[in-house]
Amino acid sequence: MRNFNLNIAGYNIGFEASANGPDLKPSARFLRNINQNNGSDILIRVHSEPFNLPKGAERVFRAPYVEELNGIQFNNVTSFWSVWEYHSELYIWTIFPLSSTEKNAVLKFSLTSMEWDLWIYGTREETDPFEYPLDGLILYYLTVINGDIMIHASGVNNTGHGYIFSGVSGKGKSTMAKLWDNSGARVIHDDRLILRNNGGIYRMYNTPVYNDDEPRESILNRIFIIEHGAENILIPLKGANAVTQVMANCIQHNWGAEIIARLLGSISIMCGTIPTSKLFFKPDKSVIDLILEHE
Amino acid sequence: MAGLKSILSQSTSIVTRKTGNEYVLVPITNNIADMNSVYTLNETGAFIWEHIDGKRTVEEIITELMNEYEIDKQNAESDVITFIGNMRKYLIIH
Repeated sequence: MRNFNLNIAGYNIGFEASANGPDLKPSARFLRNINQNNGSDILIRVHSEPFNLPKGAERVFRAPYVEELNGIQFNNVTSFWSVWEYHSELYIWTIFPLSSTEKNAVLKFSLTSMEWDLWIYGTREETDPFEYPLDGLILYYLTVINGDIMIHASGVNNTGHGYIFSGVSGKGKSTMAKLWDNSGARVIHDDRLILRNNGGIYRMYNTPVYNDDEPRESILNRIFIIEHGAENILIPLKGANAVTQVMANCIQHNWGAEIIARLLGSISIMCGTIPTSKLFFKPDKSVIDLILEHE
Repeated sequence: MAGLKSILSQSTSIVTRKTGNEYVLVPITNNIADMNSVYTLNETGAFIWEHIDGKRTVEEIITELMNEYEIDKQNAESDVITFIGNMRKYLIIH
C-alpha cells in the first residue's frame, strides 16, 4: 500500500510513500491499530533513496545495541541508532538489528513540525516504516512534542479506577499486573505505558511496540512507585520527592535542556494532580487489599 | 570559596523546575542530563536558590533568610553557607 494510518496511544500517525518511495507494509502487530480515518496528527513521508546528514550536523545522543543471554553480552554493536541536531532539525540514523535485510534509515523531524521524512535504503520494495527501533523512537518523540510521558510501569483498571505501578526492571511491575489480573482487573500493560494529559484528565495507554496487545487505555487515578518488600507499606509522596521518583522511571533520552525541561514540567504537573505513593509490597493479594482500603 | 561579600548567580548548566515550595534541579553537562545527580531543594533551599540572582551578596541572602523565617543569624548563615557548599558546582561566584 502507498499509505496507512496507525492510532497508537491516541496519536494518529500517518505514513505516506513518496512518489519514488517504497510500497508500505505495516507489521502484523500493528494491524489492530490501523485507523481508517484520513486525518493524522503526524505525517511521515517515506522515501527509498539514501540520505546524507547535513554537513555540520552534531550527534547529540547515541545508543549501542547489546544482546545479552544469561548475563553474557554478545553481538555488541556500538552504532545502533543516534540522534543528530542541525539548527532546529533533528535526525535519527538507525540500523535495524532484527531485520532480515541489511538496511539503514534516517528520520528527519523537529519538535515543532508535524510533517516528517523517513529515508529507508538497502531494502526490498515493500517495507515496514515502523520497524524496531523506529516504532519506539517515533512514539518517544511524539510524547516529547505533546508533553506526554513514556514510563516503565504496569497499569491496571479495577472497576473504573486506574493505577500504575512504576519501577525499573526487577521491581515487580509484572508481578503486580498478574496479581490484579488474577483479581479480575483489566491489565492495560505489564511493562511500559504512555501517560497523556487531556485537559487535566490523565489516561494511560499501552502500545504494541513491545507486545502485540490489542489497544488498551484507562483513566489514571493513582501512581505507585513500587519495590518488593517484607511487608506492604504505603508512603504518600509529595512535591519534589514525587517528581524525582517518577522521573527516575521514565523512558527518556537525556540530551537537550529543552527536552529535559519539558519532561520535568509534565511530571511536575502530573504529580500535582495524581496522588503518588511509594509502595513496598508482598507478592500476594494483600497488597490489593491495602490499595483498595486507601481509596 | 564564597565570602560574605560575594555575589552569586546560578549556572546555566542546570534545568530547574519549581514544584510547590520546592525545586527539582537536573544538572546538564555537554547537553546531556546527569540523571544520577538530580537534586531536590526543600522550602529553605528553594528560598536560598531563588535569592541567588547575580545581584545579592551572600550577606544579603543571609539577612533575607533570617527575616523570612525569623531565625537567628548563626542558623541562617549556617544554612546559606552549607547550601553554597553543596551546590557550588552550579553556582557562579563573582
